[in-house]
Amino acid sequence: MTTIPTLRDKKRYIAFEVTSEQIITRSELSEEIQNSVSSLFGDVGANEINAGLVSFERGYGILRCAREKTTQSRAALACINKLRGARASILVLGISGTIKGAMEKFIQQPPNKDS
Amino acid sequence: MSLFDARFYEFNVHLPPDADSLTRFALEAKRYGYSGIALINSKTDRLDNIPQDFSIYSAVEVSGKPSKLRDEVKRYRAGRDILIARGGDEEFNRAAVETAGLDILLQPAKFNHVLAKAAYDNSVTLGFNAGSIIRLRGEARVRELRTMRANLKFARKYEVAMILTCSPNSSYDLRSPREAAALAGLFGMTEVEAVRAMSAVPLDILRRKSPDYIQEGVEVI
Repeated sequence: MTTIPTLRDKKRYIAFEVTSEQIITRSELSEEIQNSVSSLFGDVGANEINAGLVSFERGYGILRCAREKTTQSRAALACINKLRGARASILVLGISGTIKGAMEKFIQQPPNKDS
Repeated sequence: MSLFDARFYEFNVHLPPDADSLTRFALEAKRYGYSGIALINSKTDRLDNIPQDFSIYSAVEVSGKPSKLRDEVKRYRAGRDILIARGGDEEFNRAAVETAGLDILLQPAKFNHVLAKAAYDNSVTLGFNAGSIIRLRGEARVRELRTMRANLKFARKYEVAMILTCSPNSSYDLRSPREAAALAGLFGMTEVEAVRAMSAVPLDILRRKSPDYIQEGVEVI
């Protein structure tokens, strides 16, 4: 159900890249992110952060979180060190206010670090 | 200009001693936004295939009995390696902060105001290991966070230099500077402090290790 703009939850979308020894599926990653968030911040914190995996394809993904909680979400992503028993690490590419923005800016054309 | 437009360094890298893993690690570290790393107890003479604008320093982890620590530090001091001691019991930490040549005391579990003062006097940098937040879960992680929060309090009060590291054993343990700062935020470190702990403080240690440096305030020009 849609609500009026001022009452909507304000969100941010974190674009990230997964490096892993194995190929992982969307549901495994989603589960691991939820685990990481709740083990780091507890049930109340996880609810405030409101993390959810929006999309994940070919090693690149987008995570939704609450606007004020981007730092905490980053920390939770950084705490993931194993996916399905294989070593893995997550690199945040950037944060955007819209899914489209995160897609276009960080995933379709990964930012050039040197420029 | 962003706070994160600095040169970042990772000073506590443990790698298997083959050139291949070093090359892979260096490439990955550059991609993650680091400008240099320091390898622990590993030879850094075979430096081929290292990306441009990326530097590799060598470090030594000193350990052993508290009474032997001073001799050990003296032995390596001339070699211009970065000297790191992993925090141990109170006696060891005491010996470490009272050894003037030591650079970093990493994550001492039992730290207090006396040790903090000594660390400041001997310019020993206090190391924070963000890697323990990444690798541990549950009660163990709570304990590490508590240690780091307490150490941060002493470091702020006595102006001890702080350094932040992820202590990677492979390229999968590496985290980008922004992520490391977010992890440091979990135990109360501000972003400004975290950025300093990854850029300015390592650079200061490197300055003290350069051949032109004689002592604080005196260097060959």
